[in-house]
Amino acid sequence: MKVLELRNVHKIYNSSEVKVHAVNGVSIDFDEGEFAAIVGPSGSGKTTLLNMIGGLDQPTEGEIIVNKVNLAAYKSSQLIDFRMKNIGFVFQSYNLIPVLTAAENVEFIMNLQKWPKKEREERTMELLKAVGLGDRANSRPSKLSGGQQQRVAVARALASKPRFILADEPTANLDSKSTETLIEIMENLNREENITFIFSTHDARVVKRARRVITIEDGKVLSDERKN
Amino acid sequence: MWRNRTRSLVVITSITIGIFAGVFAVGLMNGTIEQRVDAALNQEMAHIQVNREQFRENFEINLTINNADSVSKLILRNEDVTGVAQRLLVNAIANTASKSVGIQLNGIDPEAEKKILSLDKTLIPGTGSYFEDPGRHNLAYIGQDLAKDLNIIRFSLDEAAIDSLASGGIPPETLSKLDILVNKQFPGEKAFSKEVQAALSRTEVKKYGADIMKRAWHFRDRSKITMTFLDKNLMQTGAMFRIAGIYDVNNSVFEKSQVFILRTDLERLTGIDANSCHQILVKVNDRDEALPLAKKLRTEMPGLQVESWKEISPDLAMMVLMVQKFNGVFLLIILAALSFGIVNTMLMVVLERTKELGMLTAIGMNKRRVFSMIMAESVFLSLVGGVAGMVISRLFIISVASKGISISSVSEGFEAMGFSSHIYPSISGTFFITVTILIIITGILSAIYPAIKALKLDPADALRTE
Repeated sequence: MKVLELRNVHKIYNSSEVKVHAVNGVSIDFDEGEFAAIVGPSGSGKTTLLNMIGGLDQPTEGEIIVNKVNLAAYKSSQLIDFRMKNIGFVFQSYNLIPVLTAAENVEFIMNLQKWPKKEREERTMELLKAVGLGDRANSRPSKLSGGQQQRVAVARALASKPRFILADEPTANLDSKSTETLIEIMENLNREENITFIFSTHDARVVKRARRVITIEDGKVLSDERKN
Repeated sequence: MWRNRTRSLVVITSITIGIFAGVFAVGLMNGTIEQRVDAALNQEMAHIQVNREQFRENFEINLTINNADSVSKLILRNEDVTGVAQRLLVNAIANTASKSVGIQLNGIDPEAEKKILSLDKTLIPGTGSYFEDPGRHNLAYIGQDLAKDLNIIRFSLDEAAIDSLASGGIPPETLSKLDILVNKQFPGEKAFSKEVQAALSRTEVKKYGADIMKRAWHFRDRSKITMTFLDKNLMQTGAMFRIAGIYDVNNSVFEKSQVFILRTDLERLTGIDANSCHQILVKVNDRDEALPLAKKLRTEMPGLQVESWKEISPDLAMMVLMVQKFNGVFLLIILAALSFGIVNTMLMVVLERTKELGMLTAIGMNKRRVFSMIMAESVFLSLVGGVAGMVISRLFIISVASKGISISSVSEGFEAMGFSSHIYPSISGTFFITVTILIIITGILSAIYPAIKALKLDPADALRTE
């Protein structure tokens, strides 16, 4: 079942002298439960594409349709609400709140959604255990390794039970062991909870594990390969 | 909030110090003016004065208030009035063997005056009493500066004075320089102070001069003054008066010009009858009630001039008003500095946390929450700093208020203007509450601009920042 459609999406940045065509006529669809990697060299438009899918950025031209609703129809406040309910973000540099513990970071979005305290705490522990950090719930990000921080970020992204996880180069700052662990966790969650994972990457280890690989360069889709 | 502890603490500390400095300066200014107003109203003029019309302009001896007792009773019927006192007033010349000075003689009833003024409490110890010699006539209660002018006060350093200065902490090497002055008599303050200045260094004079002058001060006992003035028939009259006591009100002009004698003596000498007076002083509960009450009394007592202290001494009223305006300006400066500090800090916070704010917006924190987060931090900083500043200033003012702050090095100039050289800082409770509320409001208003900046962040751009 199609849950996300990109139709002839363009994104043009107007800098002072030149126009940069970051995304140039991309049309792709995603089904529910996909585990897809968008690959390409730096500056190929991967992050811009993810930002537009997540409603952080608006396309200059074209349509992004999520569950049959065009994102362009949303006002800014509706987009924030849409992101909170439907999308979990995992960033390259983790972006955890340094003064909060791992558990508090995971709980944060549930707080925004006003979940009851008990449910919040149960869900937080369940997620931290799922990413193998049940024993580090009270640690601050500064006391965790890069791989552990990124796992907390994945747990945070999953907290509000989103339909999609958008991960922008999630393994860029991780060593191979941490990368392996993180991919395994993401694969398990994808399988068990049927969450759609779309990540941008140029890490061969991640590309190898993805079930669909979309290659883009200069803002255009070069290939879209599905593995069995 | 405590992510950057040093910065938060620096901001809180600077707010605290700024507020403390401002509030203390206001307290000092308030204290100075309040003391002056208090002295003027409680020692010099009372709240309202009632005279016959034209009396104040002409000072004509026969412009008396007849039936003074009935007028006093009429005034006392008003519930705001706490007391009245009748006075006879004549211009006179005070003479001693060496000097003559023009003065105003106040014929008073000491018991009635004690109920509304505190002139009796300004008596310099050791100089006599406030008319407490029963049955004695022709006693005069005079100011310290008039006593100096009339050479009633002499200056000399005897052994006892030197001992007392030594126990007061003046070093022996300084005291040894004063040996040449010991047991010498000086007729006036100027001559003595000239010799002290010649004997000591400038620093020593600055440090110990006031103490030395105080110890060398001697009242010539049994001093007498002859006062001459006109009686009710405009014939010259007069009498010899013995000094009852010497008062010190820290106001040179008043001390030099106002001499108090018993009303009965002045009645006898001028021939003015006992039920007449020149002036009725009125004291009320609250000094701000004086003006409306004076207006009311004017309508009730035609033919009499009724004036509140603000009308009698517009300079005093203006001073009170001016100090209120100055307080306002001071407050404005404090709040402006506070506001700039908060805006600057919060802009730094927004700049520093651009990426985090981008992340928070990305994961679904709405604009209202982002706005409230910045606002809460700013209000916290200004509230903690502001309240700490207010509490410290309050405690400091309370601790200083009991002993006061002495500025004896400028006492001469201060007292010439009627101000005490010993200041007791004071701040009203209302001022404290107003400032605290204004600090909170300033904290809130100052955070609006940085909070709007935070709202305008584009999450995608913010996430890209390093």
